[in-house]
Amino acid sequence: MIRLDRRLILNFDWTLFILVLIISGIGLLNIYSAGFSLTDLRQTQLYIKQVQWILIGLVGMALAFLIDYRFLNRHAYIIYGISIVLLLVVFTAGYATRGSQRWIAVGGFTFQPSELVKLTIILALAKYFDRHQIGRGYHLTELFIPFLIVIIPFLFILKQPDLGTGLILFILFLSIVFFVGLDWKSLLIAAAGGLILTPIGWYFLKDYQRERMLTFFSPERDPLGSGYHIIQSMIAVGSGGIFGKGFLKGSQTQLKFLPEQQTDFVFSVFAEEWGFLGGMILLIMFLSLILWGLKIMIHSKDYPGALIAFGITMLIFWEVFINIGMVLGILPVVGIPLPFLSYGGSSMVVLMTAVGLLMNISVRRFILQSS
Amino acid sequence: MRKIGDRLDGYDPGQFKHKFKMLFIIVSVALSLLVMRMWYLQVIEGDELRQRSENNSVRLRKIKPMRGLIMDEDRRVLVDNQPSFDIVFIPNRTKDIRTVIDKIKELYTERSLTLPALSALPGRVKPFVPVLLERNISMEKLAVVETHALELPGVVTEVTPVRKYLNGEMTAQIIGFTGEVSREELDRSAAGKLSPGDIIGKFGIEKFLDSHLRGKSGAEQVEVNVAGKAVRSLGRIPATTGDNVVLTIDSALQEAAWSAIGNRAGAVAVLDPRNGAVLALVSSPSFDPNLFNGGISYDDWETLSNDPRHPMENRSISGQYPPGSTYKIVVAAAALEEGLITPETTFYCNGTFELGDRVFRCWQAKGHGNVNLHRAIVESCDVYFYNLGKLLGVDRIAAYARAFGLGAPLGIDLPREKGGLIPTKQWKLSRLRESWQTGETISLAIGQGFNLVTPIQLANAYATLANGGVLYRPRLVKQLESLDGHVVKVFQPEKQGVLPVRPQHIQVINQALWGAVNEKGGTGYILKRQEQDVCGKTGTAQVIGLPQDEKARKAKRVSADFRDHALFVCFAPYGNPEIVVAVILENAGHGGSAAAPVARKVIDAYFSRKKMTQTQPPAQAQGAADVRKMPKP
Repeated sequence: MIRLDRRLILNFDWTLFILVLIISGIGLLNIYSAGFSLTDLRQTQLYIKQVQWILIGLVGMALAFLIDYRFLNRHAYIIYGISIVLLLVVFTAGYATRGSQRWIAVGGFTFQPSELVKLTIILALAKYFDRHQIGRGYHLTELFIPFLIVIIPFLFILKQPDLGTGLILFILFLSIVFFVGLDWKSLLIAAAGGLILTPIGWYFLKDYQRERMLTFFSPERDPLGSGYHIIQSMIAVGSGGIFGKGFLKGSQTQLKFLPEQQTDFVFSVFAEEWGFLGGMILLIMFLSLILWGLKIMIHSKDYPGALIAFGITMLIFWEVFINIGMVLGILPVVGIPLPFLSYGGSSMVVLMTAVGLLMNISVRRFILQSS
Repeated sequence: MRKIGDRLDGYDPGQFKHKFKMLFIIVSVALSLLVMRMWYLQVIEGDELRQRSENNSVRLRKIKPMRGLIMDEDRRVLVDNQPSFDIVFIPNRTKDIRTVIDKIKELYTERSLTLPALSALPGRVKPFVPVLLERNISMEKLAVVETHALELPGVVTEVTPVRKYLNGEMTAQIIGFTGEVSREELDRSAAGKLSPGDIIGKFGIEKFLDSHLRGKSGAEQVEVNVAGKAVRSLGRIPATTGDNVVLTIDSALQEAAWSAIGNRAGAVAVLDPRNGAVLALVSSPSFDPNLFNGGISYDDWETLSNDPRHPMENRSISGQYPPGSTYKIVVAAAALEEGLITPETTFYCNGTFELGDRVFRCWQAKGHGNVNLHRAIVESCDVYFYNLGKLLGVDRIAAYARAFGLGAPLGIDLPREKGGLIPTKQWKLSRLRESWQTGETISLAIGQGFNLVTPIQLANAYATLANGGVLYRPRLVKQLESLDGHVVKVFQPEKQGVLPVRPQHIQVINQALWGAVNEKGGTGYILKRQEQDVCGKTGTAQVIGLPQDEKARKAKRVSADFRDHALFVCFAPYGNPEIVVAVILENAGHGGSAAAPVARKVIDAYFSRKKMTQTQPPAQAQGAADVRKMPKP
């Protein structure tokens, strides 16, 4: 399973590793600032916790790097099954805050299995499509099993409720389906079905989720509730100007006008203190990370490797796009963390592990080539 | 098992090259969109937004909702809202809270007023987070602060509604009070329902119907200047006033019961037997719920909670007392229905009843002679019921007691209702790990021993007799109404069961209860009235077992804390009962002499009010006349 090979070190993907470290480092500074100056001592410890998460994440990354991804691919369904069981545990014995039950507590730490599911469905889908290659676009009926793979955790997560994570799962599913190829007739039917299902889906949303959707289309509808996030977030970002207000000097941040400023709205803290330039640099780093992931995908020496690399890259891309889009007020407010920047252990550990997997695929193309 | 590398066959490494181009375009376009949006916000709108953040700026101000009113059955307001003025300090980075407080102190002492609880202020102050300096200030203090507004930057007075309990102690136990939501209550509440600083019901109806009374907070987003004063409103959601609650309580009866009980400890429960509506519910001693407005002071709370007379306990629903002789109706109904006796069966009472080597006494030491059921209830002969107890056994008595609604909470619309205790053999075995003694059944038959009932249960048990056998859930709430008077919800009578006793047996017991008040020698003769036929039963409940020795008995009775509880339960008028009254007075002695007069005041109040209303609409007087034609026993 784990074979330490000289070539693992020789061909180690330093670019990817350093890129992720830099982004996480920026995130850490930013968390420090977001938690700074609060009179509450508990809050100022946030960055220390975040350091712990990064360290744990690096362990996850090392493991994911060392275990041959083809081994993981072989056991993808079992790994997927375990993550579903964890979701079930959340369902029955989970820990709830602010009205949603998303966490399980493991000795002092809380863990969010829905974050893990983001990665395990990529593995499961990669395995499925690898086993069922047909050389043409898939018909809808042929997509039933992959759909099942996604819809089971999707429903659990929606029930928690966690609209953001559910949305990501669904978008990942669509991305992968488009990637492996969809029959054009099926595409039309799916599009039509989607249009019909939207109003029905609306019916199943919780009141606060509907409220957020409506607020997105007209923030002035509710300038106090969910609209408050958006308005304050845009003021924070905008007031940063071109060069930003400087580290620890963002007044919106330091005066705590922003709710959830360490988690989902962490980008507004960054944009306020580092301005347009800082935001540009961060986005360029994310772009590099994503393009690097795609490069790993095209150079992968086998089909499942390419699919996993694609899935992970898309996960990072969509989270970055939706999260920042939401902070900037061009997408509705849904709970999706900003990769490597948002405070929170589960997301950090899972993404680090995912990056480890990317490195794994990246390095093994050299090993596979020569075998 | 497949070997690593198997899958390489047939895989074209270049097959995703063309997809890469498409993905590259998608990703680049998406991220460019974000950059463009950042450019728009930070460069084009940057100055304006920076301005807004610097003035800053925008703050959420909560608009507290008005709580609904609480009214009696006749829509007389029992609980109203009144404005309370609070002094709030809004700190910012430049002003120091200590200097401001010193300044206020100085202004106060000029007029020999003191600012309380300065020590309770937070040590460190967060900028822009309002600090409550003093709640519910007097008009003088308000004037001081308002006239010196310029010397007190950042100090604002805020108006919030607080409760005004118009009847104070008289209805405190029913209505309860409100207070600021506690940490635990916040944690327990559903998301978004409560937030820190909210005022919620803590006791009584205020607590029970809190979700209806509370209303919904509104909010306003305001832009504030450096001094923390609101400059302009950016958006506003008004607060929604809570629903008004109409109780079934009749204030006149409540008043009558409250004044009759005086400063004695005890409780009165008054019901309408036809539907279970609670007409009055008094518990004494009581407390002033207005003390809780704007937070009760530490001293007041200490006094209240350490009072040995427990004024905060609602004795009418959570006081558990031995029922004494009022319990005899249960035993009588059980014996009749089980066919152990007929109304004509007699037992001879010589003043004592012997079981093995134990002697049980009748309250009438010289004995009642030969008594049938009617006389036994009228004169409350203990020996007669000792005999019934022996015939029935504990478990059969318990089964009937439960049918009368005893032994479990009735589900009245108030928190903290107790269930009392109806013992069975099984209960004693599992709770005390002892087997049941026959002697215990004997004292049980006259309502002594383990038996415990609450005043509301007692009233409700007699109500089932009065209405011919229907057990209702006692209701305190008639309906909920919105601010504009629309009825939101009407609470209907709720049948909980039917007494498993035949009508002719209920009739026999009711006749005996009539006799107890209206016949010579009846224990409740003191209550005899000319106008209305009252049926009732006295009870005298021993607080502790009395020694057998005559002298020791006398000595024991002297100590006030060990004096008997006085009970009286009655309903009227005989033919078609409209009102049931249960009275319990703690350590007050004999039921007939101590408790019955209280019940009489309530009955009088009820019928004098009814007379007044009846003289106006003649149609109703006709109906009442029919009632009078019912056969007399």
